[in-house]
Amino acid sequence: MNSKFSRRQILAQGALASLFSMTHPVLATTSASTPWRNWSGGLACNPAGRFSPSTEADLSEFLSSSQGLIRPVGSGHSFTPLVPTDGHLVVLDQLTGMLAHDTDKLQATFAAGTRLGDMGAPLEAVGQSMLNLPDIDRQTLAGATATATHGTGIGFTCLSGFVTDMRLVTPAGDVLDISESENGELFNAARVSLGALGIVTRMTMQNRAPYRLKAKNWVQPIEEVLEGFDESAASHRHFEMFPLTHSKYALTLAIDETDEPINNPPPSPEEAAAFAQAMAHWATLPPRERMPLVDGLAEQIQPTEVVDTSYKILSNVRNGRFNEMEYSVPKEAGAECLREILQTIIDKEIDVVFPLEYRYVRRDDTWLSMSSGDEDHAAISIHRTAAEDYRPYFDLIEPIFWKYGGRPHWGKIHSLGAAELSELYPRFKDFQMVRNELDPQGRLLNEHLRKLFIS
Amino acid sequence: MRIANISYAIALIGLVLGLSACGPSPAPDDLAAATQTQVPEADERVMRMWSQSCALCHVDGKGGAPHVGNVDEWLPRLAQGEEVLLTHTLEGLNNMPPLGYCMACEREDFLAMINFMTAGISAASSVGTP
Repeated sequence: MNSKFSRRQILAQGALASLFSMTHPVLATTSASTPWRNWSGGLACNPAGRFSPSTEADLSEFLSSSQGLIRPVGSGHSFTPLVPTDGHLVVLDQLTGMLAHDTDKLQATFAAGTRLGDMGAPLEAVGQSMLNLPDIDRQTLAGATATATHGTGIGFTCLSGFVTDMRLVTPAGDVLDISESENGELFNAARVSLGALGIVTRMTMQNRAPYRLKAKNWVQPIEEVLEGFDESAASHRHFEMFPLTHSKYALTLAIDETDEPINNPPPSPEEAAAFAQAMAHWATLPPRERMPLVDGLAEQIQPTEVVDTSYKILSNVRNGRFNEMEYSVPKEAGAECLREILQTIIDKEIDVVFPLEYRYVRRDDTWLSMSSGDEDHAAISIHRTAAEDYRPYFDLIEPIFWKYGGRPHWGKIHSLGAAELSELYPRFKDFQMVRNELDPQGRLLNEHLRKLFIS
Repeated sequence: MRIANISYAIALIGLVLGLSACGPSPAPDDLAAATQTQVPEADERVMRMWSQSCALCHVDGKGGAPHVGNVDEWLPRLAQGEEVLLTHTLEGLNNMPPLGYCMACEREDFLAMINFMTAGISAASSVGTP
């Protein structure tokens, strides 16, 4: 690499400081507010401004001394328009990092703007590790919990289920500490709030001792996997499958604890190039002609195994950008729902090469988690690359989710509003009441949230 | 078919498991400690945002991102002009998401970050940035 600096030098702030302050002057500036876009690029808005508090007191002062519309933004990973506003965006990029930890309880408190990918190392340093993680780690803790983001495993709730304490600054600027024992009436509402109750500034998470995981993946016929899915989900710490479209096969992933030495080589540039080549080739074939090709190739894929520290196995950053729809259906309905979706893709000759994702998530006691209540759920995801129009595909599949009682992931594309959602969540009206009490003027509402909670 | 077998296997695994791209924020404690004593206040804010966003990929070149200070990788990009680079940053390009993961950044912040990552390159090659 013809680089002027080594990585080590770049990360040394002395070098950063001298370079930054002594080289170019700052380029031309503009007084107009910078547009906001989400991760996939499918959503955009022109906020009146951005507010990045350096302390909770700053945030409280801002909220109590202003009256305009606001929306909190995490890392912009939601595909639903939770963020777009012509008011102010509140960004918690200065409220980050671990604030405290309890060695006996194996709990740790993080500022809510901390990204999930920045939690693993500091937790490990104090002898703790997250119980589970979603498979993308760039979300902030506040954003991930506000949308009931989850990982994989019948033994694990969504991240919100790991929260033991939290602090919320209301639209009026009041600071509320919330747990089962303090402001307990808000606890089950505030852990999955879509940013509609206030701005969450810190959260205490229940963790465990650090652990190492081995991930195994292999290809197996979809029907075989489905027939044994409950047993596999019960016998592995994490178990899921990625059904291939226009194929009878799925890539299957099982993750379990291990004491084996770390073995997790990074992908090579050649692999990345092969990836792009393969996808481009596949996409040139008409959907009805793909099955024998996809099946033939799937049968030749060899199983692989990697071993690493838990947070490096469970979560990572996605290279390719996409849009996604995910619904959770009651676990017992999951297999039939998945079968109908896959058959619809074949019957309607939907031109999609992106695999689906199928996994279980444990029930929890929050009001608005997709798995809230007394049933475990099967989460099913469909995807489109960011460059493609997802609407025809998603519009065709979404009614299938409804047929099986599906609840939409709050951060992933869906078309439901308050009337339908109130039928899916027994405590939905309670949440609407709490929202109205904490934000009677609707400062935290945008068009999307009004559709979800008002009309 | 035979030629593509390995490619397809890798493609499938990469697609569904999201082969890791950019890493965690680089050494935040070290950066923060150093900025308190060595960086002017205005620059400290931008560098903090840079370390939480651009640095995730541009330090190690993950996802095809041009490395900080790499002449060969930045020269053709700089030749497109700062407005094009800014547009790519705001709208996303290839694996880089819109806003490069900096939700707090305004245009001038992005321009300052681009300036930082290309420090000295344009002057040495007469590309013409200020």
